[in-house]
Amino acid sequence: MRRMIVLAALVVAAVALFVVGRGSGPEPLRLTTAGAHYTATVLIGRPTTGRISVEVRVTSGDADGAALSAVMPDMGHAMPELVAGEPEPGRFVAEGELFAMTGVWDLSIRLTGPAGEETLTGKALITGG
Amino acid sequence: MIRALGALCLAVALVVAFAAPAAAHNVTAGADLRIAQTIAGTELTVVIKGTARVPGPLRIGVVAFDPVAGLPVNLEVRSLTDGRRVTALARAAAQPQYAQLRVEETGPHELRLRAGNEVAVVPFRVLVERGSAGDFLIYGGLLVAALLLVGGLLTGVLTGASARRGPAMLLAGGAAVGVTVAAMVIVFEPLLPPGEPDGAAPTAGLEGGRPFVQSRVDTVPARPAAGEEFTLRLDLVDGSTGRPVDDLVAHHEALAHLVVTSEDGRYFRHLHPLRTAPGRLEVRLRADRPGRYLAHAELERQDSGGQLLAGEFGVEGDAAGPGTVDRPASPRLRPAVPVAGRPTTIEVATQGATRPWLGMSGHLIIRSQDGSFLGHVHEMGSSGPGLRFTFSFPRAGRYLAWAQHATDSRIVTTPLTIDVTDPPR
Repeated sequence: MRRMIVLAALVVAAVALFVVGRGSGPEPLRLTTAGAHYTATVLIGRPTTGRISVEVRVTSGDADGAALSAVMPDMGHAMPELVAGEPEPGRFVAEGELFAMTGVWDLSIRLTGPAGEETLTGKALITGG
Repeated sequence: MIRALGALCLAVALVVAFAAPAAAHNVTAGADLRIAQTIAGTELTVVIKGTARVPGPLRIGVVAFDPVAGLPVNLEVRSLTDGRRVTALARAAAQPQYAQLRVEETGPHELRLRAGNEVAVVPFRVLVERGSAGDFLIYGGLLVAALLLVGGLLTGVLTGASARRGPAMLLAGGAAVGVTVAAMVIVFEPLLPPGEPDGAAPTAGLEGGRPFVQSRVDTVPARPAAGEEFTLRLDLVDGSTGRPVDDLVAHHEALAHLVVTSEDGRYFRHLHPLRTAPGRLEVRLRADRPGRYLAHAELERQDSGGQLLAGEFGVEGDAAGPGTVDRPASPRLRPAVPVAGRPTTIEVATQGATRPWLGMSGHLIIRSQDGSFLGHVHEMGSSGPGLRFTFSFPRAGRYLAWAQHATDSRIVTTPLTIDVTDPPR
């Protein structure tokens, strides 16, 4: 009898983990957005408040500069722009504070290059501090 | 044994309740998105049919409210995730044929409309409902029960009546858990909030509305001449961040309702400007007489209520025509002499059968004579012919009003003048 209860508890625990896991999604943020001149993927390993590292991979278009900024539309918060360095062609990295609190932020990626300047946007859910 | 099963079922119910993501979205999967556009000199409503799966079809039609004889409208849908584009040609008609495009994934897209030499870019999200955790538990529980019951039968057949009770109890208990979980979820799932569809924007469950919109009204050229076409432009800016406001939602089937009136009220247009860039709305129009014109824009940001923005512009030169001839109709008013602060019912005769326009069978735009007040009233529940509106005028004075409805072939505008008195002391 005890074995049966333990077995049933394990089954229920597995189901619970599956259900909860489906709802929360992966922790790192990966956002791909396509504009008229450029397509970029933003990667944030730890999308949290405070100092973070943000990587921008430009997969389409010839960008030679990238800068990131964020606003939180629900609260009317705006954060300063972070200018990214380019350790290798098409790959940009910026470090600093981009999100002041948890919630949904509009992320702007301003890209410059021979094709002109374009600002791509996307939404980022910040859940942890 | 029974207590243990009960505790397990309670745990499952709690897990399901906390796993369901809260928060609603402005666009739901399976529902049509309808956006009115004033383009190529005519009034159209673009209808994007919700899709049930991706990759899958996306049907778009263009409903005409003026006699435009199959006006061609070029459609281009672009994914904002991978940049993929698909195109089609639609023809505007009162009962349009739907053009069929194809979308490969959920998430943000934009629809580029081109009619005449005007272009509008309408952002939208492709959303697809995903299987809920409840469905998983219902079907999973029933599957487990079925497998265990079959296993129980086979165990009984293979071991005979003298078999040990242990395996039989184990299988029966497992089947009971499966059936109980499925039954509980069937009972409680309707009480749980629905999950977000695939492709929805992330939400954080915040409530309270977004900051106000600050608008700037310009004309191109800066000094339009009477009788010549010009562009009226609204630049929308977030009052807290200074960024362009690019989160307008469909508010009564339009990103914005723009009412342009001359100061004297003889000129009236109810327009639906085109989004030409983030935070920018534009519409082309023409005014036959010089003078001061007022622009009132009614719009709604995501997760917020409606807002009214006001601006003005001037038209120069000599009169190029009589303008709109103002022949105030005689509506039936109840009470016959409206009193400020009390409901007044306004009944307006219609020309022909009406059809819904902007989600309603009739609209009444009310402006105070000085232009400092603007109201937008919807027709409510008229059983017979004609339109019926109820409105409480805020102050005594003269009001200019325009009742509008759509027939099979056009939009009819009926100008009215209503005098409102102070309540008796």
